[in-house]
This record gives sequence, C-alpha cells and structure tokens, in this order.
Amino acid sequence: FQTTMDVAAEDSDQMPSGFHAKAAAKAARLRREAAKLASAAALESPGGIESRPGEWAPTQSKLLRRVAVAARPGHFELSLQYGPYSVAYDTTGRLLALCGRGGHVAAFEWRQKRLMFESQVNEPCHALTWVGAGSTPQLAVAHSNWTYIYDAQGLELHCLKRLHKANKLFWLPRHWLLAACTDTGHLHWQDVSTGQTVASYCGHHGPLRVSALHPDSGCVLTGQPNGQLCIWTPLEKRPVVKILCCPAGVRAVATAPAGHAVYTLGGDSRLRVWDIRCLRPLSVSDSGADAASIRLFDAAPQLAVSQRGLLACPVRQGAALMVLPAGGAKPLLSHPSPGRLSDLAFCPWEDVLAFGHARGLGSVLVPGSGEPNPDGAVHPLSGKRQRREAEVRGLLDKLPPETIAPPAVGGGVNAVDAEGIEEALARKRAAVMALPSDEVRQFQPRRRSGKASGELNRKVGERWQRRRMELRQLLKSKKRVLAEMGDEGADAAGGRKTKKAKKVSQSGELTKPATGTFLDRLIPKAD
Amino acid sequence: MKVKLLLRNPQDYLRETADDIHKLARNPAPELHPMSAETEYVRALNAAKLERVFAKPFLGCFGDQGDQLSRVCMHPRALSLCLSGCVDGRVAFWNIPRRSRVLQLDAHSGCVQGLCWHPEQDLFYSCCDTDRTLKAWRVGDDLVEFSRPVSQRHLDFAPLNLDHHVSKDLFALSGDAVYLYDSRRSDPVGQWKWGSDSVLQARFNPTEWHLLAAVTKDNALLLIDTRQREPLRRIRCEFRQNALCWNPQEPFVLATASDDYNLYSWDARRLASPACVYRGHTNAAMDVDFAPTGRELVSASYDCTVRLWESGRSQSRDVYHTKRMYRVFAARYSLDARFIVTASADFNLRLWKARASEKLGALTPRERAAVNTAEALKQKYAHHPQVRRIVQHRHLPKRLYQAQLEMKAIRGKQRRKEVNRREHRGEDKEPFVPERDRHVRGVDE
Repeated sequence: FQTTMDVAAEDSDQMPSGFHAKAAAKAARLRREAAKLASAAALESPGGIESRPGEWAPTQSKLLRRVAVAARPGHFELSLQYGPYSVAYDTTGRLLALCGRGGHVAAFEWRQKRLMFESQVNEPCHALTWVGAGSTPQLAVAHSNWTYIYDAQGLELHCLKRLHKANKLFWLPRHWLLAACTDTGHLHWQDVSTGQTVASYCGHHGPLRVSALHPDSGCVLTGQPNGQLCIWTPLEKRPVVKILCCPAGVRAVATAPAGHAVYTLGGDSRLRVWDIRCLRPLSVSDSGADAASIRLFDAAPQLAVSQRGLLACPVRQGAALMVLPAGGAKPLLSHPSPGRLSDLAFCPWEDVLAFGHARGLGSVLVPGSGEPNPDGAVHPLSGKRQRREAEVRGLLDKLPPETIAPPAVGGGVNAVDAEGIEEALARKRAAVMALPSDEVRQFQPRRRSGKASGELNRKVGERWQRRRMELRQLLKSKKRVLAEMGDEGADAAGGRKTKKAKKVSQSGELTKPATGTFLDRLIPKAD
Repeated sequence: MKVKLLLRNPQDYLRETADDIHKLARNPAPELHPMSAETEYVRALNAAKLERVFAKPFLGCFGDQGDQLSRVCMHPRALSLCLSGCVDGRVAFWNIPRRSRVLQLDAHSGCVQGLCWHPEQDLFYSCCDTDRTLKAWRVGDDLVEFSRPVSQRHLDFAPLNLDHHVSKDLFALSGDAVYLYDSRRSDPVGQWKWGSDSVLQARFNPTEWHLLAAVTKDNALLLIDTRQREPLRRIRCEFRQNALCWNPQEPFVLATASDDYNLYSWDARRLASPACVYRGHTNAAMDVDFAPTGRELVSASYDCTVRLWESGRSQSRDVYHTKRMYRVFAARYSLDARFIVTASADFNLRLWKARASEKLGALTPRERAAVNTAEALKQKYAHHPQVRRIVQHRHLPKRLYQAQLEMKAIRGKQRRKEVNRREHRGEDKEPFVPERDRHVRGVDE
C-alpha cells in the first residue's frame, strides 16, 4: 500500500522544498525497508492463482482438487427459503451470520459448521453486522422498523428504536460505534459500550440507500442519485465532503477493509476507484481503454472488497459473481449463484467469500483474498482468553467520536495547528508593531491645586510635552515601516480586520473541518 | 495452473503446553494499524488519568512528638533511619519504614537548632542555642550508651545550625558568624562574617572541600572559601533566605528557600542572578532539599504545603497537603530519592512518596514495561491541552486555592502596571527586566 507520503516522494514538485523532499524520500525508504523486514519475518504468505495465458478462470471444483482437504469447509451452499439473504462475517473471521427478508436470522461458525443460533423473527430483516469484540459476539440486525441486538444464543438483548428503518449497519471497532443509514435519510451513531447515542440526525440528502463505511477513518460514505459521493461524520450534520464521482447516479459504494481506496459503481455501469485521501481517481491499470474505470456490464449493485484488494461483484443481473484482482479488469474467478445475488462479503483473514442470494447463501474459495498475517488477537485462531483480553484493551483504547474525520480534510491528533500558530504570530506582530493608542497620545495630566502647584503643573506639563513628541516620532517611524511592509504588514499590525478569522477550538486538539476551504470547489454547482 | 490457498496451521497459533504463554500474532504493517496516532493519544490520556487515580502520596505519620519539631536529619548511609530535633530539646531516632520511634533522648534544655551525622562513623552531633552546647552522641547496640553524649563542648555563641564536612573531621556552626570547628580542637579553626547579622545556616559543598555557603539574617547569601580570611562573595537578596542546599550531583548548583515565597537555584560560578526562580508557594519557603539524583527539589513552606520541583523548571511538579498538616518547617529526601520526610508545626513527622502514583514494592517486568510506556506516552503528548490539563492539575483546599488566586492577581496587577508605565514613560525609562534579575539587590566581593 502506498501512502500519500510515498506518492509525494515520487512526485517531488509536490514537496515545498528540497529539505521536505529529502525527508519524505528518507521516510519512504525506511517504510519500504520496514515492510521488507516485516514480510521476511511473516509466518504465512498470501494465496494466489497462477494461470497460464489462455487459461480460463478456475471453477470451485477445479480449485478444490488443487488445494488441501482442510480448505473444503470454505466451499458450501445452503438452500434456505426465507428470502434474499444478507451475510456478515465478524472481525475475527470465525463467525458467519445471515439474515433473510423472510425473517430468518442465524449465526454459525462456518469452519466447523457449528450452529450458534437460528431463529425466525417474523419480520423482514434487511441488514446485519456483528458488534462488540470477538469474545462476546453480538449481532445487530436491522428489522423493517427497528434494529435489534442478539447475543450468541439468539436472545434479544436490545431493541434500538432510534435506528428506525435502517438499511445498512456498520460496526466501527476502534470507536465501539454502531453506525446506521436509514431509508428515511437519517444517520445514527450509537456507542455500544456505554449505550450513548453519539449522533442521530437527518442528512437531508434523501433516503440513504447506497452506503459504505471507510474503516480506516470511520466515516460513512453514501452515494447519491445525482452522482455525488458524500462523506459523513458524527459531529457534522452535513456531509463533510462531497465529490462528484459519476455522471449518473451512484449505484454502489464499497471500501477495502484497510487502505484508502473507495470503489463506486455508477449508473453508467462503470466502476471507478477513488483515493479518499486526496479525492482523486486511482488509476485502474490493465485495461488500456479507460484507465479510470472498468465497465461492468449488467452488474447488480453489491460490491465487496477483500483485505488484499480483490473486488467481488455480481454479474449477469445477479446470476453469478465475479472476482476481479486488485487493480485489474480480467476476472480472477467467477461462480454461478442459484438465486439472484443479494449480498457479498469477504471473510477477513481467510481466502473465502460468502454470498447471499434469493434462495439461500453460499461460500466460495477465492485464493489471495485474505490477509495472511494478522496482528493481535483478532484472527480466526485466537483463543478465548486472548479475545477477552483484546476486548478489555479495545475498551480502554476506545477512540472518541471526534477522531472520525475523512483523511482529505486533515487535522488529527498529530496535525500541526497551523491556524493557531499563525494567529499567535499575527498577534505578536501586531503587539510589536502596534501603534501607540490614541488614549496615550491624547492623555492630559490632571492639574493639581494648592501650594506650589504652579511649579508642579509646569514640570508635569513639560514632561508630557516631551513624551508626546516621542510618541509622535514613534508613530511616524512605525507608519513608515508599515508602509514599506505593504499590505501584509498592515494586516499584521491589525490595521485592517482580517476577514478570514477562523475560530480555534477550545480543546485545540482537533479543529472542526472548516467549510469555505478549497474543498468547496468539489461541490457541484447545481446542488 | 498453480493455486495456493491461505491455510493456517492451528499449531502455529496455539501455545504448546499450559506452561507457555499464549502466542500473539504480530504484523507491524501500517495498513493493519489505522488511527495509531489517535490510539496512542487515547492511551496517553488514560495514562494521565490513571496516574491521578493512583496518586496517593501520603504514607503516614510518625506519631505525635508532643512538641514542635525543628530539625530533620537523614542518616547518610542507612536508608531507614532518621533523626528529628524538637523545640523542647528532645532528639528522636526513627525507623522510617515502620514509622516508629526507636529511641528518644533529652539532648538539650532548649530548642535543638542543629543536627547532623558524621559521614562515616556512627556518631551524630546536636547543638542548642539556649544552653550553647554542641554534643556528640554515639549510636550503638547498647542503648544505655545512647543516653549520654560522647563529648560535649560549650560554645561562646548561640549556634543556629550545624553541618558536618563530607569527609574531613570538620563541622561548621552558624551563629553570629560561620565558625569552622575541628573535632580534635576545642577552638574554632576559622571564622567568617559579613555584616553584623547572624548566620542562619552554613553548608559544605559536597565536592569542593574548602567551599561553604551560608545564608544570613540580613537577606544575604555568602560564599566562603575556608582557605581565605574573608568570605568570597555576598549576594544581597530582597528577602531573607531561610535555608540552603547544595546539589549533590551538580555541586556548583545551590538552592535557597526564600521568605518571598520563592526558591532560587544559584550557579556558584555566576552569582549575579539566580539560575532559576521556583514560584508556587503562597507563603514563605522554610526549607529546601535536593534529591540525591540532583534532578529534583522539595520545599517546605509556611503555607502548610510541601512542593516538589524538577531542577530548572519554575513550576512545581506536585504539591502535598493534608488537613492536619500545619506550617511545614523541614523537608528531606530519603537516600533513594523515593520518599520525603517532613516536619511540621503540628508536632508530626510525615512520610510521603516522592512520586505520588508510584507503586511501592516489586514490579513484575510487565508492570515495569507498562509504567515506562505510560510515562513515555505522557511525555510524547505532554503539550496536548487535554493531557496537559490532567497532568498539571492538583486539587488544593479552598484557602490554598484562594491564596494562589490572590498571588496570581497580585502578579497580574504588577505586570499590568509595568506595561502601562512602559507605554507612558517609554522603553528607556522603564526597561524590561527578566524575572531572574528582579530578585538580587547586588553582589559584593
């Protein structure tokens, strides 16, 4: 993965000076060396398919013949009757949950096929996500009206009436937040550890039917019918960033579990990839025709991206799924679906993809989709004790919702408060260059009365006369200096009121994303 | 076609036996650690909060002495022993960890003005101004021996303090002048004086064997070389310096506790102005002591608080107070720089931790690593407003807090008046004087 620093290091005219270019190049070199060392020490290597030129994408049966028998649990099909299914893996990749529009809710350990619970809730269920840490798994399911949270045994723990008509649920593990987008156009952010509602507001951008979470920053991305992609944070009731990403409406948005890539599928059937840090298209290589997009014919609007950048999408109007390699247009593999595809989900840390369709769900092997080397206790083979300890540490390290900000807007804990520094400098300059105040120049000493006051008054008057002359000289010299400095100086001296005075937040750690900045150019004129 | 599927061997992730620790997978790639800066910041915040949660510095009282304590003296070699001198002439010998009195003896008929240990022998000296005696006591296993002094000498003057040389058999008595006595001779070996007022305290420099510093009643600090007849320098301060202490690790540095609520640290090589002004107390600073590391100071004040400072930083690191502790007259660091013993006007000696949130007792390696990490995180994010607010804030009782606000208002008023005067009279008539240069009236040679 490249970062902005790497990109900038290669493009040295983006750096303000040679010093910065050298520093960025050195940092990039150190990062590359560190990555090399890390990969040398890595336990596992990623999967993949090496096919000869002209060979077709392999079928599942072909794959199963070429891999170890231990991989077989990754390929299965379940025929179920309760409507199109949505699927969700938990963050460890051990548990798979499903919910159907017919009211079927179930969760099981997919590798051992051990059922955790299964129930019929008699209400259409639209979306689901695992919440909490892996040690006490809880499942949040969006029913037709409200959202319910079930525990590992299927008992209903909570009914979240505020999350009304949610069509997509997201789990932010570092913030312990459950985010939801609803058909009524509302966005909700609920803290699952304390139960507090962090934010709940109407976005005033119509029903939010197309949405995705950007896991690295915790922002919710929604696609609008006018082709805009909006980025939402809990602290702002308006989208923080809006970019026009498609000439037609946005039909699907997806993000990789890690990294800065955002995939949008537009009404013109083109898949575009954006870099969320600079809000520019990431070029999609392989296809020479249109470097910025891939044409996906007859693609239904569900996309899933794996940890290693593989993209899964339905084709032939949901009759089959196709997996594209990272940055490529030639499919890696495809698989027919018994029913019309309704949901896709890559299993984290494993080379497995689950898909839900109108007649049940299935799971296929996708070599090279999972990240081989996990960090910490969040992986399928972690023990119960480790997961419990990781849960406690996760709660201690819970990030406040103020840290949710799109990378493009900047800020962050270690960002330099350039505004504050500039304001402080301006104040100091103004203090130094301050012109003597009128009060001082026009001060008249009071006249004393009484014995020997005449002499005293004369002396005081003389003293003040001398002081007034001094001040006049000072005023003249300062004005001369200011004139030489020009407009900049006048601003610095506070002679002219600075129009762009930005307010600095009291906490000082993170400033609210300021509107009226360069990002406004990205807002389409016809809003 | 070559296919490789990611398959993990559970044995690589499980521990081999129940005696092993659990294996933890590690991948330092930054893609797997998003928002690491924010996580670190949250950890720094939590570390700061936990430090305040565990900040319980008061360990206990040594027990009611029955009368006001005048002096505290730590044993130069044994960690757990200290002496205290009382205004009614009693000297008590304490076991610090147990906070119990080992022995008490009626040393003098008046206030015990000086107490110090011999650096090598098991011998300590005490002096009193009412009976004008200097007594030497031997500490032995036989407690009977203890009740009578080994030697006693009568002085011509009323001694106000006492200090023993680091290695030679010399001690310095301060009274109307600074007298240098040799233990084998009955008459003083040397005498130094500047002015007519008495000398409150004289201390030997830890490495320069001929150098002494003394503080006098007429607001002066003296630097004396015992090889010369007259003192080397006299620094005339605005207010009286009540106590002084040499830095054990940087022996050219000297700290004094002043009546103008400040402490000053002086560089003996350049005495024109203090090296640092330690501001924080709201009443006269009565005593100052350096930590054996030379990096920290403790001060006892008439405002019933004890403040801890980092050498060179003018804001105090911590402030200790109790409802029952009245005017604090003495504060001493223990030899391992972990504890502080204070003597106050409520007749009690108190034991405090030098690091308020330190865990006493053995730390496991993981605990130590966690403590060090927390410390490093707090330092890294020390400038962030939320972290700084938590780390710096100390609760003070209402009267102390009001006193602090009053001092702040007074200083604010003084600064404002200065600024106004400068604006009205001009820069040349009202020059800007830095804080350091405001406290010394002059240096005489």
